[in-house]
Amino acid sequence: MGEVIVITSGKGGVGKTTTTANVGTGLAQLDKKVVMIDTDIGLRNLDVVMGLENRIVYNLVDVIEEKCRLKQALIHDKKYPELYLLPSAQTRDKDSVSPEQMVALINQLREEFDYILLDCPAGIEQGFKNAIAGADRALVVTTPEVSAVRDADRIIGLLEANEIKQIDLLVNRLRMDMVKRGDMMNVDDVTDILAVNLIGAVPDDEHVVISTNNGEPLAGNNTLAGQAYSNICKRILGEEVPFLDLDEVKGVFGKLKELFKKN
Amino acid sequence: MSDLVILKSNRYGINLLLDANASFLSIQEAVIEKFQESEKFFKNAKVGISFEGRTLSHEEERSLIEAIHEHSSVEILCIIDQDFKSEESTRQRVESTLATLSQVQPAEGQVDYGDYYKGTLRSGQSIVSEGNLIIVGDVNPGAHVSAAGNIIILGALKGNVQAGNTGDDSCFVFALQMNPIQIQIGTYIAKSPDREKGKRRIRRSGKDNLIEVQIAFVKNDAIYIEPVSKSILKNI
Repeated sequence: MGEVIVITSGKGGVGKTTTTANVGTGLAQLDKKVVMIDTDIGLRNLDVVMGLENRIVYNLVDVIEEKCRLKQALIHDKKYPELYLLPSAQTRDKDSVSPEQMVALINQLREEFDYILLDCPAGIEQGFKNAIAGADRALVVTTPEVSAVRDADRIIGLLEANEIKQIDLLVNRLRMDMVKRGDMMNVDDVTDILAVNLIGAVPDDEHVVISTNNGEPLAGNNTLAGQAYSNICKRILGEEVPFLDLDEVKGVFGKLKELFKKN
Repeated sequence: MSDLVILKSNRYGINLLLDANASFLSIQEAVIEKFQESEKFFKNAKVGISFEGRTLSHEEERSLIEAIHEHSSVEILCIIDQDFKSEESTRQRVESTLATLSQVQPAEGQVDYGDYYKGTLRSGQSIVSEGNLIIVGDVNPGAHVSAAGNIIILGALKGNVQAGNTGDDSCFVFALQMNPIQIQIGTYIAKSPDREKGKRRIRRSGKDNLIEVQIAFVKNDAIYIEPVSKSILKNI
């Protein structure tokens, strides 16, 4: 039986879709059979981030409305044979699907896949309700900004009210230089407010933008963000992995600077 | 000697007819004697008392009542004026005194029960209590806590809070870490200070070793937030 993880944040633009793409890819690299469902009906973009946009024939709403079989709508990833995407419909809206229909769909997928990742839309309305309906656990994505943390807090409250037992926190777009200057909350400040288990922190890395534009998730490659996502995937599987030191000194100049600071 | 004091009683009160000419001391002795004689009859009774036949000063009344308390198990609830010595008026007086006595625990107008919540109150969540409210956990920004009585938060208060929501200004808010967005006590309202320009409020440095238990209350037409001390708790 597969495990269903909803990736959610409340606030938009904090990196839910990027996280879904990278966690999906990372789990596939760990030899898990994974399906990612884009539940953001009307504003789909997980397919773009995965670089699978041109392969969409049928979508989530078609499956729900039984215009096609589930298998027909599942899109195979380019690189990983065990990674699938169920895209959302672009021309419909959130009301096209009900939570009950989502639960039925997820139960169908449960039998075949190890992990089912649900990319949740921003907000707390119908789309959110659809996405969390069938979830076993949640990955709450936030950035170290007060507005994002505030929304994450609200989301965690709603998830708890919907009896989702396991809630993990991912702090995205951390900028260590700003944290050091005292201009940004650090990971401890965020977990202190939200009081849920931290599953990982991802640095603000320009490689993320590049990989998104290229449609190739960076999980597992040698960038700092790629490593961070890989570690998060291992922690999802229950492994104990030490947290990355995001404060990487870059180049000779950086090392010199560090030397001067110490003296 | 026994003529100095004549004792009459009904269900709710005792009437003492005192000799007008004897000395107060001998009257007192006679009263003690009377009560000791009728100890079994009055056993643990709660009654009102009235004096007749002699004008007594407050001190004399008091020393008589003390003497009765000392030498018998009768409990005198109140002194009844001679004008109201019918049984009915005595009953009313005694019962109303009894009623106020039983209400002594919570002071007048104060609610005497509480609700309890354990867990973090998150943005968008709210709790309303018709009594006092005790929360074990944090109240996060965007959460709302309201109670008719006092609010005690064993955790960090970072949201909105309203104590005495029926208009009671005597209520207080207590928190292990006091950092509310807005605080309302009775008819008063206060907001957190605006962020000063150029001052970084994002990170709280050394928050772990700087936990200060604070209490918010109304004084001189304003809401005060002060560290908890014994003298403050005494005055609340």
